[in-house]
Amino acid sequence: MFVIGAVGTAFCAGMFLVSCRVLVHFQSVEVIGDLLAGRLLAMIFLTFFSLLVFSHIITALSNLYLSNDLELCHSMPVQMEKLFMSRVVFTVMDSSWMLIIFGTPIFMAYAYVYRPGAGFYFTLLHLNLAMVIIAAGIAILVTMILVYVFPAQRTRDIIILLTVLMIAGLYLLFRFLRPERLVDPEAFFSLVHYLNALGAHQAAYLPTQWISETLWAMLTETHGNGEHLLEVLLTWTTAAAIMVIDVWVAQALYVKAFSKSQEGKKRRMGGKRILDFFIHYLTKPAGVQVAAVMGKDIRTFFRDNTQWSQLLLLGALVVVYVYNFSMLPLDRSPIRLDFLQNELAFLNMGLAGFVLSAVSARFVFPAISMEGEAHWIVQSSPLKPERYLWGKISLFLVPMLILGEVLIIVTNHFLQVTRGMMVLTSCTMFFSVFAIVSLGIGFGAVYPKFKHENIGQVSTGFGGVLYMIVCSLFVAAVIVLEAGPVYILFISHVRGSAVTFCQWAFILASFLAVVVLMVTAIFKPMSMGIKALRAYE
Amino acid sequence: MRCVGTVPNMIQLINLTKVYKGLRAVDGINLQVGRGSVFGFLGPNGAGKTTTIKMMAGILAPTSGRILISGLDLAKDPSLVKQCVGFIPDRPFLYEKLTGLEFLDFIAALYRLNDKGSLKPRISELLDLFDLTHWREELIESYSHGMKQRLVMCAALLHHPKVLIVDEPMVGLDAKAARLVKNLFRSQTRSGVTVFMSTHSMEVAEEVCDDIAIIQAGRIIARGSAEALKHQAGVSGTLEHVFLKLTEGKTLAHERSLSSY
Repeated sequence: MFVIGAVGTAFCAGMFLVSCRVLVHFQSVEVIGDLLAGRLLAMIFLTFFSLLVFSHIITALSNLYLSNDLELCHSMPVQMEKLFMSRVVFTVMDSSWMLIIFGTPIFMAYAYVYRPGAGFYFTLLHLNLAMVIIAAGIAILVTMILVYVFPAQRTRDIIILLTVLMIAGLYLLFRFLRPERLVDPEAFFSLVHYLNALGAHQAAYLPTQWISETLWAMLTETHGNGEHLLEVLLTWTTAAAIMVIDVWVAQALYVKAFSKSQEGKKRRMGGKRILDFFIHYLTKPAGVQVAAVMGKDIRTFFRDNTQWSQLLLLGALVVVYVYNFSMLPLDRSPIRLDFLQNELAFLNMGLAGFVLSAVSARFVFPAISMEGEAHWIVQSSPLKPERYLWGKISLFLVPMLILGEVLIIVTNHFLQVTRGMMVLTSCTMFFSVFAIVSLGIGFGAVYPKFKHENIGQVSTGFGGVLYMIVCSLFVAAVIVLEAGPVYILFISHVRGSAVTFCQWAFILASFLAVVVLMVTAIFKPMSMGIKALRAYE
Repeated sequence: MRCVGTVPNMIQLINLTKVYKGLRAVDGINLQVGRGSVFGFLGPNGAGKTTTIKMMAGILAPTSGRILISGLDLAKDPSLVKQCVGFIPDRPFLYEKLTGLEFLDFIAALYRLNDKGSLKPRISELLDLFDLTHWREELIESYSHGMKQRLVMCAALLHHPKVLIVDEPMVGLDAKAARLVKNLFRSQTRSGVTVFMSTHSMEVAEEVCDDIAIIQAGRIIARGSAEALKHQAGVSGTLEHVFLKLTEGKTLAHERSLSSY
């Protein structure tokens, strides 16, 4: 918990600092600086509101129709309205963490830069609460109507897919807007006009507009007594109205839709032949038992929309990662270019390693837990634990290698690094992937969570966090061990001087240490995992 | 070495013990089960039946003691021993995103049933027997509880096991399916298969089992045929009367909560 708290605090602190930096820069722009800050606040609220609506839809689907305890709840002598409202409260609480974690640093940055009175903080708190209630209310209304029309399982899959597409799209849109131009004087004024145009059509009927206008007036102390009382009243009456509407609609639709959602699940999925073909050729090199486990995992992954749709987010992440490197203003660097290029390539190895660790925490670490309550099948079978774990590694190794090498090779190409650096970073990444995947499977076997309602819970548990920390330490250790030799070789190349005997000894010792670290990171987690599986109870 | 079906005692539990945080869930059980018989393992809730069965299936490691199946030590070569065993758990948790046929193919691969020529007819035979043929291409998540239970039975019988270990086989089965399962056990024993079955149901135990043991608080308190147990208890009537008589006055299984240990 301490580690998670520390990571969260660091993240919030980082967001706060970046937000302050942007706002201070806006303040330095005469005339329109404050206007931009105000428009930005409106856009932030609109974005949060949109994300809250989508997030609440998924949570509402689960809390109102798909949770395991709903059958028990509905069989109890409790009024439907009370049951419904209790689920609404759960939904509001479940999804609102996003606003707290991401919104608080940004709003505090505004407060820090503009130094409003105490009333701002109270208004911020209650208006955010109202916004959350409105977002939840809209989401629950949409959910009830959708589930009344479509089966709950199908609705959930569609909404999750749309949400993932929306998040990926927002992420790409944000990056391609090139916000780094804000700090580039040559690009700034054209961007200013662009942002002005973006905000030109303000939606006066949106609650987020009322909230942002009210808060902005308090931040800039243009708020007279009672001047924005209308907006505050509008916001809260909207929140109350949406809740009343939700209860009315629930009285008409909720029980019927819940009953429908209990009737029969989906039948056979399409695309079976394509999947069979793909699995047959992918698993051919493996033994019969391992191939069976791999095939089962691949089928389960691609038949669960909540799983494979995350590949879309991963794709967006890779695109933005590579794009970032293509936009680096290397020609304007005060540091010697070849030094900078190779230094960046080396640091990029660490960054790519961290990205792979995060991806692995999401997909590889939960691989053992994915067996769920059906884990008895493998445990009672003749399949040996070591073959089982190596089979899991085989499944993830190829896609992770592709991801790792794409990140390294493409970015190195943009950086135009030397051949030696390309070889070093590619080889280091190749073996690091083995270690990261092995650590993921090993830790996943030591800290399995077979009883879970949502596989996402597995990555965020104690084992998942510990895995991320160990993986990060591994990547950092590799970078540190290789940094010395790389520096020595690069400097000797630049100066045209020979490497001394002691330096060669240091270089060899460092690379040997890297090899030992890699081998340990590959095999030690596996032996831990095998032991853990044998002793599992 | 390989599992053989001709050892006189197909199942031997020797001083088998399982301790969870100071709680002796299974306390020094000694049992031998003859070949080609149906052995009933009875006891109240929390007596240690499922724990014993999970140890025999290789899912839980014993704290001490030995488990020999078909003369082979489960601790020394678990992979080989599991090849001889078909396990049917009390709750049929399966891979929901596989079809029934894909699940059986998966099981066949785990048990190294490589001969496609004999595998396909075997799968068809079992699906037909358990009335699942029309559901073979449907995802398991669309199956009812009873269908999942029957699919698990297909999987357990696929590799012609020498020993069937069954935990509460009748849970969730309708009368027709229950009759099918009872007939199946009898036909399996005629082929020399040994069935080790835990159950709450005295009627099923009396109807099907050749030999019965009653476990309470982790220990065997009585052992023998239904008739022998009636004689031991000094009652006539059903096995339920015997069970209640033999367990009367004794402490309930694990009265204290786990947190108190």
